[in-house]
Amino acid sequence: MFFRLLPVAVMTALPLLAGADTQPELNVYTHPSFAAEWGPGPAVKEAFEAHCECTLNYTVLDSGGAILQRLRLEGESTPADVVLGLDTGTMASARQIGLLDHHERKLDDLALPIKWKDDTFVPYDWGYFAFVYDTERLPEPPRSLEALIAAPDDLKIILQDPRTSTPGLGFLLWMHSVYGEQAPDKWQQLSGKILATTQSWSDGYFSLFMNGEAPMILSYSTSPAYHMAVDKTDRYQAARFEEGHYLQVEVAALVKTSDNKPLARSFLDFMLTRDFQRHIPLKNVMYPAIDLGSEMPEVFDRLIEPSQALYLDPADVSGIRRRLVNDWLDALTR
Amino acid sequence: MLEINQLCFRYAPNETQWRFNITVPKGQCLAIQGPSGSGKSTLLSLIAGFLSPDEGQIFWDQHPIHTLYPWQRPVTSVFQEHNLFEHLDVFSNIGLGIHPGLKLTPSQRKAIDSGLERTGLAGFGARMPGELSGGQRQRVALLRALLRQQPILLLDEPMTGLDPETRAILYDMVLEEKQRGVTMLLASHDNEERRTLADIQWNL
Amino acid sequence: MANEVQAPPFSHPRWQLWPGLVIGSGLLLLAGLGLGSLLQASGASDAGRLLAGSYFQNVIRFTLWQAFLSVILSLGIALPVAFALNRFRAFPGRALVLRLLELSLVLPTIVAVSGLIAVFGRQGWFTALLDAGLPGHGWNLYGLNGILLAHVFFNAPLAARILLQALETVPAPRLRVASQLGLHGWWLWRAVHWPALKPVLPGLAALVFTLCFTSFAIIMTLGGGPRTTTLEVAIYQALRFEFDFTQAALFALCQLAICGSLWFLVFRKRLDTAFMPNRQLSQPASLVRGKWFGVACGLVLAAFIVFLMTPLVAIAVRGLPALIPMNEPIALYHQLLPATARSLLIAVPAGVGAVAVALLTLAAANRASGRWLAVIPAMTGYLPLIVPPLVLGTGLFIFLKPQLGNPMQGWSLVALINGLMAVPFTLQVLRGPVSSLDSASKNQADQLGVLGWYRWRWLYWPILRRPIALALAYGIALSLGDFGVIALFGSPGQPTLPVLLYQQLGSYRMTEAAGTGLWLLLVLISIFASLSGVSSPSSGKGSGAIKPVPEPDHA
Repeated sequence: MFFRLLPVAVMTALPLLAGADTQPELNVYTHPSFAAEWGPGPAVKEAFEAHCECTLNYTVLDSGGAILQRLRLEGESTPADVVLGLDTGTMASARQIGLLDHHERKLDDLALPIKWKDDTFVPYDWGYFAFVYDTERLPEPPRSLEALIAAPDDLKIILQDPRTSTPGLGFLLWMHSVYGEQAPDKWQQLSGKILATTQSWSDGYFSLFMNGEAPMILSYSTSPAYHMAVDKTDRYQAARFEEGHYLQVEVAALVKTSDNKPLARSFLDFMLTRDFQRHIPLKNVMYPAIDLGSEMPEVFDRLIEPSQALYLDPADVSGIRRRLVNDWLDALTR
Repeated sequence: MLEINQLCFRYAPNETQWRFNITVPKGQCLAIQGPSGSGKSTLLSLIAGFLSPDEGQIFWDQHPIHTLYPWQRPVTSVFQEHNLFEHLDVFSNIGLGIHPGLKLTPSQRKAIDSGLERTGLAGFGARMPGELSGGQRQRVALLRALLRQQPILLLDEPMTGLDPETRAILYDMVLEEKQRGVTMLLASHDNEERRTLADIQWNL
Repeated sequence: MANEVQAPPFSHPRWQLWPGLVIGSGLLLLAGLGLGSLLQASGASDAGRLLAGSYFQNVIRFTLWQAFLSVILSLGIALPVAFALNRFRAFPGRALVLRLLELSLVLPTIVAVSGLIAVFGRQGWFTALLDAGLPGHGWNLYGLNGILLAHVFFNAPLAARILLQALETVPAPRLRVASQLGLHGWWLWRAVHWPALKPVLPGLAALVFTLCFTSFAIIMTLGGGPRTTTLEVAIYQALRFEFDFTQAALFALCQLAICGSLWFLVFRKRLDTAFMPNRQLSQPASLVRGKWFGVACGLVLAAFIVFLMTPLVAIAVRGLPALIPMNEPIALYHQLLPATARSLLIAVPAGVGAVAVALLTLAAANRASGRWLAVIPAMTGYLPLIVPPLVLGTGLFIFLKPQLGNPMQGWSLVALINGLMAVPFTLQVLRGPVSSLDSASKNQADQLGVLGWYRWRWLYWPILRRPIALALAYGIALSLGDFGVIALFGSPGQPTLPVLLYQQLGSYRMTEAAGTGLWLLLVLISIFASLSGVSSPSSGKGSGAIKPVPEPDHA
């Protein structure tokens, strides 16, 4: 009996032995644009490993939704310690999985346009949804949502589908925040101007907007920062709408089953330091979650300043989302 | 001695049933004649094992062979056409009859070459079947059958449609084989062919 | 004596039957696991209400309608193209045109769609021509127009390729008779062409239907709005956005039911598409051909080539500035080259696997007897097309629970699924040639004892070499362009080519993304070009055996 078990015992012990004198590992589930070579991921890894005496591993999944589904499938056996790349649209569903732990951080130094009081999710960047337009083809963009809706149907815009895309859902909530029960009627008025409703932001931006198919696309108010700072062109700008802009916050959270919670928590702390946040503005093209002071790139001064940050609590959103989507479908297929 | 004992076969439940009872002494050639559709080819296919009989037995030297797979039977066949693998050259076509994986000893290779020479096909080893005439193809097929050295040779109209010269060559090859003691069944509706080759005639 | 030779390796019939059955059952199990796990993690959806709802019914209606129209259009265009290619058998560049036909199916959607938009969109070349020549034409890409255009772009070349192969297999004697009788027009079609096309059409139509039925990103980008929602969109929505797994599973089941019953009809009637019937090329007998027919053929062919080429040219025009930068050192290649290597690391095993699975499946399908046993290998060819990849991936994930800390594991998993997804295509390419061994040859081989490994080596391999090369090209190319599977399973660290493309897209790097798209196109072209260079077996053998002679003239 002993001899039969011996190989099993050795097999079980081997990984432990091998791992004995290596550094602890922190597994982070994230999405592609964060982990890309030019994204914040590599610099963040280097900076964090410099003082944690650990190894930071990214597992790259294609969206926040994919991260959640992976967590759900893996359940308690998940190797993830931290998930990074969820947002205000996916927070409620993520909480329901029951695999995330409280962060136990104070979060005093946040520089968000709203008061953040969530005990599970730590924000690491944020931005406003906005329509980006091509100044060469549309010198006089609409100044408000109302003006856009009332514009003649010659003005074509590119939207994303709220059933498959984060900005798409953001715009649905934006319309709802501004118009409430009137939103379906406004959608109908808007429908003649919608050139395409793409599956993802990338499809619309690459295939349609950059091909000059329409002069306006639903995107982020920070998008022009990239074009100005990296592409060195002022051609693409965001239109400021009087009614205010809907807010998106990207968050990270601690996984309950992590076997190295102190390390994971120190990563959450690190996330809100300048060593992490300085990579956000130009590499993630979003606003940093803390005040970067003089480190903030200048182009961000030239972005639009919304008069009001529109925002619905994620818990409330999850209650009304399906109804809003159905209303939207009805309005556009009627 | 090849004994075919109450061998029954039908293609479909409603079709006519064939029943065969034949004995062929060792080293003799039995010619079967009959109009098209009289079951000549069916009988040869049953002996080769391409078709399974409904009942009955086939014995070779008192051993039952009807239970064996085609490749286990002491039988080799030459048909009127489609004897060769079109995508393989002449040498490989013959070689596969000697070793099914074409692993040939030098002496086997030599046997193929000299066989080709003997049948007037010297230098044709690298040709593809598609480049040969009908008579040449039949010579290759028969050569392969002979080199297999099986005790039973089944000939299903092997010379139909060939010119007299080719026939003469093939007759010689078959007769030589018979002298070596090979037992043969010949399906043919050609009088000359049967007269030349057969020892026993049988009408279906 | 032959009987004394040892039994050839793998000659027992079980070697033909069991591997294919195991693979088929494994696939069924995965689909079942995926669906089961979704149903099990159920929310509180009411199935009856959901299926009776107008949303669902509209989605089904539209999905069916666009798939139906796409099939009609794709086949309607493929048919004259195939005729034209059949008529002109020796013009220079014909081989290039065939490569072009193979290419469009494997192009990553986002790359192809951006090319199509650059040509047919509001600011496209084609539209500009229309504006100049036909003011007030009213052409609008977005909506059903665009969906059908894209579906024709993806599927008509595939259909034309298959129809051409069917036309080329018209037996030489039949052509000779037709030539002697001077048949033309309707009677030529009745006597010669229709009998050749009839056996491939139902399977081909079912394949195109399935591909269009499950189409996703194209529909959303070009469809214009939620009016053009397909079932696959609804599945994605339910799975990724609503986390309503019951609903996703229900939709997936509906898709299975609709496409599955279509395939069942095709399969039951034995009208299965043999995409490459491998009989030898019939010798061209000169048929009566009106001059106008030749002119029409030429025009059709030219128009179709222009239709296929212009989007590719647009992709090239857009991507070249990134690949040939004017002033700075070529940093892009530091990402492109390793990403290409990683992609090939996944795609080559996936392609080889897809070919192997297809061969084993075909062997099992030929060997399997009994009603239920025969169903399993038959399913292998269609299941990956109609089970949404997300569902299949979920099943596989539960089955294997990979630890993605180990890159090799994660990558082999991705290769495995990519391989499975490519099986329907490799299977279609290989089905014809595998079954082309006639019964006379099989009997001969039986008698000679050419069994198992020997039969494969000497009978199948020579006639399958070229089809296998084409199947391999399809398998590799499909896996190479795939984004969905790798995104689903997550890539540890470094990106493959499509992932790199999406990373660039997600970070505003539009110029570089265009460059990556062009690079991907070039890699796909070189895969097809290098694998189509595989010579036919007869041409490898010395003396002037190259000319295909179906029958000796004096036979």
